[in-house]
Amino acid sequence: MGGVRMKITDARVLRVNLSKGTFIEEAIDEDMYRMYLGGRGMAGKLLADEIDPAIDALSPENKLIFANGLLTGTSAPTGGRYMVITKSPLTGTIASSNSGGSFGADLRRAGYLMIVLEGQSKKPVYLSIKDDAVELKDASHLWGLGTADTTDRVLQEFGDQRGKVACIGPAGEKLSKIACIINDKHRAAGRSGVGAVMGSKNLKAVVVRGTNNVEYKAKDVFTGTVKKKNAMLKENAVTGEGLPALGTKVLDSIINQSGLYPTRNFQFATFADTEEVSGEALVAKGYLKSNKACFGCPIACGRYTVLPNGHEGEGPEYETGWAFGADCGVNDLIAVSEANFICNDLGLDTISTGTTIAAAMEMYEKGYIKKEELGNGPEMKFGSSEAIVYYTRMTGLREGFGDRLAEGSFRLGEHYGHPELSMSVKKQELPAYDPRGVQGHGLSYATSNRGGCHVRGYMISPEILGSPEKLDPQELAGKPQWVKTFQDLTAVIDSAGVCLFSSFALGLQDYTDLINDAAGFNLSPDEVLMIGERVWNMERDFNLKAGITPDQDRLPERFMEPIPDGPQKGAVSHMKELLPEYYSLRGWSKDGTIPKDKMKQLGLENAKVKLMRKSG
Amino acid sequence: MIRVRFFTTLRFLVKREDIFLDRKNIRVRDLLDDVQHEVPVQFLHKVLDESGGMKRGTLILVNGRHVHHLEGLNTIVEDGDVVSLFPPGGGG
Repeated sequence: MGGVRMKITDARVLRVNLSKGTFIEEAIDEDMYRMYLGGRGMAGKLLADEIDPAIDALSPENKLIFANGLLTGTSAPTGGRYMVITKSPLTGTIASSNSGGSFGADLRRAGYLMIVLEGQSKKPVYLSIKDDAVELKDASHLWGLGTADTTDRVLQEFGDQRGKVACIGPAGEKLSKIACIINDKHRAAGRSGVGAVMGSKNLKAVVVRGTNNVEYKAKDVFTGTVKKKNAMLKENAVTGEGLPALGTKVLDSIINQSGLYPTRNFQFATFADTEEVSGEALVAKGYLKSNKACFGCPIACGRYTVLPNGHEGEGPEYETGWAFGADCGVNDLIAVSEANFICNDLGLDTISTGTTIAAAMEMYEKGYIKKEELGNGPEMKFGSSEAIVYYTRMTGLREGFGDRLAEGSFRLGEHYGHPELSMSVKKQELPAYDPRGVQGHGLSYATSNRGGCHVRGYMISPEILGSPEKLDPQELAGKPQWVKTFQDLTAVIDSAGVCLFSSFALGLQDYTDLINDAAGFNLSPDEVLMIGERVWNMERDFNLKAGITPDQDRLPERFMEPIPDGPQKGAVSHMKELLPEYYSLRGWSKDGTIPKDKMKQLGLENAKVKLMRKSG
Repeated sequence: MIRVRFFTTLRFLVKREDIFLDRKNIRVRDLLDDVQHEVPVQFLHKVLDESGGMKRGTLILVNGRHVHHLEGLNTIVEDGDVVSLFPPGGGG
């Protein structure tokens, strides 16, 4: 069946038991969309309902969920995002890794809001979905291939080049805790080791082609709303000019100039050679060939890059360019781009890989890692182009010293007796902003539900970029409230399935309009924001049950020492001072736990996601 | 000498990375006018609005400090200072 019109809330759950090779389809109670929207919210709650948060993330008891948002695959601007939800083997927290491209849209058009993968296949398989024709196919011949070859081979077998593939490379197969899932060859559900969970289930790939259309409650109204929001995205300077021209690497210069560009494993906050590796350099050196857009996106922040040696692909993004660049002390844009391409093909998270290598560089410099341990590999020195390319490949293949790097920087540091050299929160590596230079963002880092992360509450936006208004990055007053609002609104955006970047131009009212007009709901902006708060508390509750205690809402000790260089010299993190007010604003107890009343108030007490079995 | 640096889309527009001016004890606002005089490409309208104030999203740093938190366009720039210009969207 295909080519039919499906009511937007009629998208189903496809439940796949990999141990038995069986399928079940479930319909979703419409109220669940009103409570969670979809994506991060609904799938997260489903996971919390169905697994014990304390299990081993790589055991068959874990579940891996590919989850679309309410608006994924619709004509909503930037409506191409989907998420991978599971328990993370890196952090032990809930993992909710976000990706773009076109995979999610085709999954929606095949009729599915979510795929829930359970158990473990005895042999490597891949999942094939053609509208409602679903089957598991042998993937033994694909095991060991990079993501590019896997995608090509699977599409060939699928018999339809319009299919979309999400897959793992060797890194996920070998259960690297920093392995990612790659879709559409160049996009990544990057963080938290979601690729390892997929590998632990012997699932190599998911290929999908969907030909149905989404039906809106009032098509003309929704079309008008979409038109207005698209115009806002075009008019806004960030989404209409900056991101299209430079992609996320529009950020290198401002972050470095503002004195919070982490350098050499966060030892310094400015990088002397930023001009060699910045977004401007990618253009000036001629490596940028064109920009790229995800499904339904008018922004087109993706970069298509071709290097002088002919190697090509998408990226590097800001975070990637920083992790392999300044954080490793490397000023070679070609090497940085090569490391990026290797991560995409072998299926590694670029942030965690680059920063794990940076941590190793500091450990090597200090004599904790010995030369003999590196085998034939180059010395693990800051600034070495050779090292970042070589060790990225070794990490993806889990060969030589790469086997140790594949566990991430925290476990690497622990092994050598120096976990304090891992710049991570809850064992997930921190991204490209020194928290001493931005106090609100530092609080966001410490309280993120998935560990070290910048996108769960992107306080860089107000504190450095001035959007929606310019805040003083060193000011403490009012920051906990800002962090809470950003975290809740981001949870809404993720659950709606639109791109975080749309929030440079759109606000809560705009998202409320899109949700209401698409689904025929009548939610107020406050009710929509409360969905975000509900999702946030659901995730924290999962984490507390997983044994992630509130004392882990903290930053590495390095950030209590002053920044040694640049315009923010002398700054330290005051995140600890902000935490009590943050807990209070969240309605949590002083010890950081969530009172039963708060869970009840949000409708999270004794309330599972309501599904109705339809077939299987 | 005061060094004024152009970043992101402003750099592509003006087609230069920076310009040095021999000035001291000058307001940012006046410095920008002087830079515009020296540069053949019109760029001021990208960072300032019709009333001569900073556009929303424009970021101007003096020695790495955002003028938003100093005296805005009245911030005084001294000999030896570095002024960094980011147009809206060009700062992120």
